[in-house]
Amino acid sequence: MSDFKIDLPSAKFKQKATLTSLVILLVALLCSYIKFNPLVIFTEFHFLQEFFVEMFPPNYALFYENEGVGQSILQTLSMAFLGTIFGGSIGFILSFFAANNIFQIPFLRNFSKSFLAMIRVIPSLVVILIFVIAVGPGSFAGVLTLIITTIGVFGKLFTEVLENAEEAPSESIYCVGASHLQVIRYSIIPQVLPAFISNLLYAFDLNMRAAIGLGIFGGGGIGYKLYMAMRVLHYQDATALITMIVLMLLIVENTSNFLRGKLLGEKL
Amino acid sequence: MKIAEFKISRYKNIVLPLGGLILLSFLASKSCKIDFSDFGEGIANGTFFITRMFPPDWAAFPDMLQPTFDTILLALLGTFFGTILSLLIAFFAAANLSNPWVRNITRSLISIERSIPELFILLILITAFGLGAVPAIIAIALGCVGMLGKLLADTIEDIPPTLMDSVASIGANKIQIIAFAVMPEIIPNLISYALFRFEVNIRLSVLLGAIGAGGIGYELETSFSLLEYHRAFSALIIVLVLVFSIERLSSFFRNKLKTAIVLK
Repeated sequence: MSDFKIDLPSAKFKQKATLTSLVILLVALLCSYIKFNPLVIFTEFHFLQEFFVEMFPPNYALFYENEGVGQSILQTLSMAFLGTIFGGSIGFILSFFAANNIFQIPFLRNFSKSFLAMIRVIPSLVVILIFVIAVGPGSFAGVLTLIITTIGVFGKLFTEVLENAEEAPSESIYCVGASHLQVIRYSIIPQVLPAFISNLLYAFDLNMRAAIGLGIFGGGGIGYKLYMAMRVLHYQDATALITMIVLMLLIVENTSNFLRGKLLGEKL
Repeated sequence: MKIAEFKISRYKNIVLPLGGLILLSFLASKSCKIDFSDFGEGIANGTFFITRMFPPDWAAFPDMLQPTFDTILLALLGTFFGTILSLLIAFFAAANLSNPWVRNITRSLISIERSIPELFILLILITAFGLGAVPAIIAIALGCVGMLGKLLADTIEDIPPTLMDSVASIGANKIQIIAFAVMPEIIPNLISYALFRFEVNIRLSVLLGAIGAGGIGYELETSFSLLEYHRAFSALIIVLVLVFSIERLSSFFRNKLKTAIVLK
């Protein structure tokens, strides 16, 4: 055992150390390139502190003094609702034309598949900029944008759900003489409906967030109100609006999660 | 089917929800002041506008390389710092590493963070730090916490307790437990969540760019508002290619990672 040798530090440790130091070096280089110093958070923290002092106390009187606020909350909710319903329905219909096991014309199927893939990559920023020019700023442009993005996100999801539907029920009712449409109606739709509804609830949750963000670019609703409050330096109003938004989103998220859990729990 | 067999009650399950939805969407479109007569005009406007955008301004592409690189860099650095931050927070939000009080408070902070849109974090930070890359990176990093913090905390809670007990039983302290029992378990998940979040952050950094973080989003917004539609179209093409290729790349690596985990 004379040639027994222990490598200290071990090869694995060396490998890890090299990898870590390389990553740190790279990040440091990139940071210096873009002139970002992570320590800035600590050295310039007093700016943030001063700003927070200005933001408090929140001006909750806004909600009953200014009628526009309540209306804009309602507007944001309706935007998300309409975007979800229309976008979800259109996505649902399109996904039938893109599913391998349902639509039998390969050319058209590939066309709708690539249409769904294409609409998925268009960022909502681009869509809202185009719609603001087309129909003018306001919640209508926001709704149209939400419809497009919902189709993009959920068209593909529904296509996958449809393609994962079980074959056996469809085949069995096809054997007893059901037409193609009847197979869809009595075998496919009952299978995918719970997934469809639970995805719609999730889409509503996502669209609420998106609707608030779109407000900045001319989508209307409470996002626009908040943006305006920040721009005219009414920070106390802004704090009130932010707490309202957080509350609203928390409620929507938890309700949607609860309903989804109930739905999937009952049906599965 | 004979008329006599037709009963409305048979369709009760469909008719009632459908009617309710139609009524609700009618009310909602009232509150959004949607006027479908605008829509026809809008289509005409929109198609006219899109024809105005052709062809893209080919000369603008070289100018846009730098902003594109900036956008990717913002997302990359934001994801990196955000992942580290979320990991630190996830240790406090996991039931098997911290005490119940700390866990519940951290969890509710995470879910509050999730409901603040990143755009408004950026607006707040811009007021504090001024325009530029710094507030954008911080906003993206903070935005990661809502999603990654929760996912990582859930992953940590799924670690089998025997693993942590065995390390603890030979005298490891908290930090050693994290280093030798927790980290090796969660690293594959950590990387795959971070890749997914990077995908989200690319879109986000385009969006944040438009309200003052710079990069390709800023180019897009300014060329739209300066009515330079050809230039805007070039920026649009770059954004689409960027988002699409990052998405492909990220899902390719995530699939690789998944097969690597399965093989192991």
